[in-house]
Amino acid sequence: MADLRIEHLNKRYGVTTVLNDINLNIEDGEFVVLVGPSGCGKSTLLRMIAGLDGASGGDIHIAGKLVNTLAPAERGIAMVFQSYALYPHMNVRKNMTFGLKFTGVRPAERERRVTEAARMLRLEELLERYPRDLSGGQRQRVAIGRAIVREPAVFLFDEPLSNLDAALRVSTRVEIANLHRLLKSTIVYVTHDQVEAMTLADRIVVMNRGCIEQVGRPLDLYYAPANLFVAGFIGSPAMNFFEARVKSVEGGRACVAGPGFRSLDLPAGHLKIGDALTVGIRPEHLAQGEDGPLAVEGVVELVERLGESSFAYLRRDDGRLFVAEIRGRQTPPPGERVTLTAAARDVHVFDASGLRIATPNDV
Amino acid sequence: MTVEQRARSLGVHLVLIAYSVLAVGPILLVVMNSFKVRSAIFGSPLAPPDAATFSLAGYEKVFRSSHILTYYSNSLIVTLVSMALVLLFGAMAAWALTEYRFRGSTALALFLSIGIMVPIRLGSVAILSMMRSAGLNDTLTALILVYVAQGLPMSIFILSEFIQQVPKDLRDAARCDGVPETRIFFEVVAPLLRPAIATVAVFTIVPIWNDLWFPLILTSSDSTHTVTLGVQQFLGQYITDWNSVLAALSMAILPVVVIYVILSRQLIAGLTSGAVK
Amino acid sequence: MPESVSNITAQMPRAKLAGLLLFFLGPAVAIYTLFSIYPLVATMALSTYTSDPSGGRHFVGLANFETLLGDALWSKPFWNAFSNNLIFFAVHMCVQNPIGIALAGLLSLPGLRLKGLYRTVMFLPTMLSVVIVGFSWNLILSPLWGVAAGALKAVGLGSLFAPWLGLESSALVTLALISVWQFVGIPMMLIYAALLNIPEELIDAARVDGLGHFRIFLHIKLPLVLPTISLVSVLTFVANFNAFDLIYSVKGALAGPNFATDILGTFFYRTFFGNQLQLGNPTMGSAVATVMFFIILVGLCLYLFLVQRRIRRYAF
Repeated sequence: MADLRIEHLNKRYGVTTVLNDINLNIEDGEFVVLVGPSGCGKSTLLRMIAGLDGASGGDIHIAGKLVNTLAPAERGIAMVFQSYALYPHMNVRKNMTFGLKFTGVRPAERERRVTEAARMLRLEELLERYPRDLSGGQRQRVAIGRAIVREPAVFLFDEPLSNLDAALRVSTRVEIANLHRLLKSTIVYVTHDQVEAMTLADRIVVMNRGCIEQVGRPLDLYYAPANLFVAGFIGSPAMNFFEARVKSVEGGRACVAGPGFRSLDLPAGHLKIGDALTVGIRPEHLAQGEDGPLAVEGVVELVERLGESSFAYLRRDDGRLFVAEIRGRQTPPPGERVTLTAAARDVHVFDASGLRIATPNDV
Repeated sequence: MTVEQRARSLGVHLVLIAYSVLAVGPILLVVMNSFKVRSAIFGSPLAPPDAATFSLAGYEKVFRSSHILTYYSNSLIVTLVSMALVLLFGAMAAWALTEYRFRGSTALALFLSIGIMVPIRLGSVAILSMMRSAGLNDTLTALILVYVAQGLPMSIFILSEFIQQVPKDLRDAARCDGVPETRIFFEVVAPLLRPAIATVAVFTIVPIWNDLWFPLILTSSDSTHTVTLGVQQFLGQYITDWNSVLAALSMAILPVVVIYVILSRQLIAGLTSGAVK
Repeated sequence: MPESVSNITAQMPRAKLAGLLLFFLGPAVAIYTLFSIYPLVATMALSTYTSDPSGGRHFVGLANFETLLGDALWSKPFWNAFSNNLIFFAVHMCVQNPIGIALAGLLSLPGLRLKGLYRTVMFLPTMLSVVIVGFSWNLILSPLWGVAAGALKAVGLGSLFAPWLGLESSALVTLALISVWQFVGIPMMLIYAALLNIPEELIDAARVDGLGHFRIFLHIKLPLVLPTISLVSVLTFVANFNAFDLIYSVKGALAGPNFATDILGTFFYRTFFGNQLQLGNPTMGSAVATVMFFIILVGLCLYLFLVQRRIRRYAF
């Protein structure tokens, strides 16, 4: 078990920059999820921590030791792959012990670790089977078992659930969370699925185009996204954005208005009259009604009914679409004009460069 | 099935049967007549041997006046050793070329692929003088070395395709497990290449077993002749002795046919597997 | 950035990488270079020398090639072998490919029974030694045995029989046809494999469009396997301009009657090793091998730059 420190890490392939000046501190025992759209560099970062890809610049420390030049096996990591990567010509037991042979673990100790891991993962019955005879979920558990027996300082997971069906994904997710509670080990976990990120992580690292956009606890990312990218990426359906301008600044308060919604009061800060802003509201925070500091009007185009709630797609007068989540059975019929409002604490405001501006609820 | 469909299917089968007869007929004819007395060979060539016409005279003659068993064992040694080395060295080279990034790897791959298209025979003059000066003239070692050099480019090409199909995660998992690079190849990747053996075999074993050219120029004594060359020389010597000629031909044909029939499924699967497009 | 090449080498110490490369590539590269590439180069180098009776070698530049192509004593047999080789190749292209395509087409018909058996049987000759095949046909076509004559008589064509292998006019084509008989399995199998790669849905779509089996073959399947056919052609070209075993085993080094079946392979062998008529001449032999090398090279270049570029490959 150990902490992980990444400093000024860079990765370039020829002229393309894949990772740009990554700095990240992961504490001992922390469960950190790297999340971002495909091609954002999260898998590359994980592979660089593992030592499977080399860095173009920067340092990686595991347990206080600089590991830049160490081979994967010398770094004290274990990795679980998306495709499980079980050796097809070895049975489950052999799959788990194969690597231990080369790291000087005695046979009796190997046996103890395999028994222990098999018990933890309910693999006792499967030890003599071959990967081809296992289901997807069982293979996944074997892959995790193979990582556990190495007793690594850091576990690395590369999209481990994406090859499972929906039901299995949920149960395996719970299992991984339990495992983390049990082992108390440091985990770095890559996924593109924000539900996995929100449910598993102690802290989430949101990445985009080779850079870290924000690092924070799951709910911090949800309630206080640092920028437009994180605001749009976390949450489903995505946050609605409205263009706005500062109309007036008076007595420390700024009045913000834009097409399609009623004006909004903010602490002025550095805002000047005429500044362009983006106002964001999550679909689940829009409710029907007249009261509220921010109100949006639109004509219902389409309603998607999910059961416990519905998503209404509305078109504003300026032609833009936005989405609102409507609870309960009653939904407005298509063609109806409705007004939706949001509470002040649910409104996010971003400046022209996309960075978050403090709103009343932040303080 | 309609009448028309049935007629068409019948027509297809007739064509295929006719061609099949053309393909095996000559072979069958030679093998069949090798078991007959001389008069029956000429009297009724198309009839199978019966009690009256059965004779092993030709085979006796072949065993008596040629070193056919030596030829067999030479061919076997040369073919099996060459094929083992081609597979081993070919797979190792294919692994390094597909797995490791290093300066000049593309150039090296190109260099190795010259041999796929340019026949090694064209270098025979120099090969012979090299073997003479190395004292390898008239040895099986000389044949093996030449055949390995001849078989490597194609096998590297085919095995590279197979190695690329081994999932990358598997190699990475082994690296995280601390498996040394050489053992990753021998214990993780190599066991997964078994299906490739059939394909490589078609392209290496068959040409080696059947080759006439290199035994002809590199071997000069009976003790180093292969079946193909031995039988060829025997045929030239006993050309008028039809029993012996047919028996010698059959003895060259039969082992190949037996092995082919046993392995044909794998061989054809190997040949038609996507490796060669 | 998915790459097939591993990046593991990036953080490997140089010495370790060098050691690994030496271990994995060393044996193959050494054997291949020493026994394949070096002899080729050495043979070409030798073609610019001549040897005197005492065994000494002298550099003569391109004189050997001038002799080979200019001196009637050499150029006549050379051009004879070259044109025979062209005929040999032409017969293969005109007979082997169409038969191979037709058989592959029939074998790939949906729902055909006994497919495996036909395939196995038809590929059998390809597995046999050229020597054995040549000699077997030599016997079968021999008027002494009379099998071929008898077979023709049985279908009322007895008058057509002639000792084809013995006649100057027909020996070469007969040998080429024997070679076709043996090697038709290769185009058949490669084209068959390519036909199997065509997705079923494409054929189903054509059937829904109302095309029959024959038209589907002609308009859909054939264009899609054209790259394979051109690959087969270039393989045949290289094999033909390098052929030797068949002619040598049926006709001997002199490629009779009267050199009517002489091709470059047998000409090379005679020049290099000698025979009843002449002494072996390694330097002239090297010159012949070098010319053969360039003929094959020109053929390959024509294929790469003229044929392969124009052929479209379709991804399914």
